[in-house]
Amino acid sequence: MMGMVGITLEEITKKFGNFTALNKINLKIEDKEFMALLGPSGSGKSTLLYTIAGIYKPSSGKIYFNDKDVTETPPKDRNVGLVFQNWALYPHMRVFKNIAFPLELKKSSRNEIEKKVREVAKMLHIDHLLDRYPWQLSGGQQQRVAIARALVKEPDVLLLDEPLSNLDALLRLEVRAELKRLQKELGITTIYVTHDQAEALAMADRIAIIREGKILQVGDPDEVYYKPMYKFVAGFLGSPPMNFIHAEVEGGNIRIYQSKISVPKQYREIIKRLEITEVLFGFRPHDAEIIRGEREGIKGEVYSFEPLGREQIVTIAVNSDVFVKVFAPEGEHFSFGEKVTIVPNEERVILFDKKTEKALEYFP
Amino acid sequence: MKGKKLQTLSFFLSPMIIMVGLFYLIPLIFTIYISFTKMKNWNTEKYLSEVVGFYNYQRLFHMFQHDPMIKAILLTTVIFVGITLIINVLGGLLLALGTFFVNESSASAIRLLWLLPRMSPIAVYSLVWYYFFHGSDIGTLNSILMKLGAISTPIPWGQMTPWGAWSVIIFVNGLVGVSFGMIVFTSSLNQIPKELVIAARVDGASAWQISRRILIPLTKWHFLYVLTWQFLSLLTTYPHLFLLVEWDLVNRDYGTTLALYVFNTAFGRGEQDQGLAAAAAVILSIIGILGGFVTLKVLQFERMIHEPRGDIE
Ligand SMILES: Nc1ncnc2c1ncn2[C@@H]1O[C@H](COP(=O)(O)OP(=O)(O)O)[C@@H](O)[C@H]1O
Ligand SMILES: [Mg+2]
Repeated sequence: MMGMVGITLEEITKKFGNFTALNKINLKIEDKEFMALLGPSGSGKSTLLYTIAGIYKPSSGKIYFNDKDVTETPPKDRNVGLVFQNWALYPHMRVFKNIAFPLELKKSSRNEIEKKVREVAKMLHIDHLLDRYPWQLSGGQQQRVAIARALVKEPDVLLLDEPLSNLDALLRLEVRAELKRLQKELGITTIYVTHDQAEALAMADRIAIIREGKILQVGDPDEVYYKPMYKFVAGFLGSPPMNFIHAEVEGGNIRIYQSKISVPKQYREIIKRLEITEVLFGFRPHDAEIIRGEREGIKGEVYSFEPLGREQIVTIAVNSDVFVKVFAPEGEHFSFGEKVTIVPNEERVILFDKKTEKALEYFP
Repeated sequence: MKGKKLQTLSFFLSPMIIMVGLFYLIPLIFTIYISFTKMKNWNTEKYLSEVVGFYNYQRLFHMFQHDPMIKAILLTTVIFVGITLIINVLGGLLLALGTFFVNESSASAIRLLWLLPRMSPIAVYSLVWYYFFHGSDIGTLNSILMKLGAISTPIPWGQMTPWGAWSVIIFVNGLVGVSFGMIVFTSSLNQIPKELVIAARVDGASAWQISRRILIPLTKWHFLYVLTWQFLSLLTTYPHLFLLVEWDLVNRDYGTTLALYVFNTAFGRGEQDQGLAAAAAVILSIIGILGGFVTLKVLQFERMIHEPRGDIE
């Protein structure tokens, strides 16, 4: 049904006056790929999406759909479908009209409009709502209408700007799964903007992490989760976020406040080669064990613990003002102030350069 | 509970009620009363208590039917209010839509320019157009046209009846009134979420289609408001007209509306006939109230006002 479209962004820069919203973005989205664009609020996600849609012209750089340079192509000739966070339904039009609007602009015939609107409405389970006004719908229904409106013109590219963030948590999980499936069924190249890392990890084929208008890393969910290139990426993905502790390298050991542990195997050679003396020691709350008694590890005191059902989060003070979070199994009992040792899973430890906050394995 | 509600209500409404009572209701009642007296030249001692029934109204209707001057004034009122209203409302809408699609700094400049007529004192503003439309060759318009060779002798624009006079008063008032609609429409357009416009653009809508299909339907409310407001204010305005007529720029009969007639009859030069003026004022008020009511009713203003935003107890 849809054409084959891969998107290539080449050195895209977008300035608003003196402010650089996008800074030399290079990104390739394959045909039929589900690409998540993940970043905090204000990082330039919407700006990038609007630039791809043609609403904004890049200040410099080029955009290609397949091999075709579309940098100067007006929005209507790019055949993209756009879904907004606030859904942007036309409040004075009934659902049918809302969905039909893109087709009316294309001057499709009455019959064709009727047929396509009903088809897409059925696909999104809103065919019983066509006579309603947007304000007569629930949030989830409005969101479906917005997606239907974007899909009805059979776009080559689907652009979604935080489409789920106005839904309540439970509904979000449901729609998330459905949307992922829909994308694969339609085989439509999709860029999905979100600030919710769980959403990106759950839905996307690949994730591009953006901060302050710059793309920090692109990779599939495993890659960005387990091999983050920057402290920012590591901290942004996963909940609770990765623990980072200031540490000093002393020969083959790493000193973390009063504790001393050996340098993880995978880093021994790099540290020697780069002659690094200070690092950020990173490990995820799931990638460590809490031990009582003598073992090589990071010593600390239990500060607090929060049972979460199947497991609990234990907050441990490594120093008076340095805390880390570690998951423990549900049965284990802790008491406030108890002395424990944290033993990180050596393979999962990530060391970052103190100054650039880049993971050491990504150093040349 | 009910008593408390009444208390709150009266607290919030009392300033309004006092204002309306003091500045609207009492004068209105007074005017209605005067329209039934023989009041002349503000001679209250002699005439205030001399009730003459419908005498003033009979005179007025007789004049409506037979006095060519009054007929001209009535016709002028209809033409002036009708055409100026269209110019005001549509002009304001067009300006707001036009500036909506250009960048913000030029939009502000354009808006400021159109606000100038409203910001300048009435006398200064009227004087500008007095010289512009002046019937001799000092008139800007005449001198331009003569320089261009379009005309050989100056044209007394405002004295050409009826359309010359009408054109001048409509032009001068139209220009003042446009800014009101422009400001209301601009602020209403700016409240429309920008995503609605972006969505339409991505779907291929032109500026015209965006205006017609999305922006205008969503400013309907404001449109009705501006329409009603401008209708009522045009029906009752006279300062610009007064000056243009007094300065002999426009023909007296075809430059005078009912509002100006009321003013001239009550306060003008020569014999002041407050009884007659009051009768005309009452009729003008009735037209205004009816007109306002019809606009509200026909265009379902009321229903829109009452559309609930949740249940209000
Ligand atoms: N039209 C604009 N004019 C000026 N600055 C803008 C404009 N649009 C966005 N910005 C700025 O660019 C930055 C990125 O915005 P945006 O792309 O909306 O972020 P995100 O969608 O990631 O939250 C923000 O700092 C925002 O203030
Ligand atoms: Mg955004």
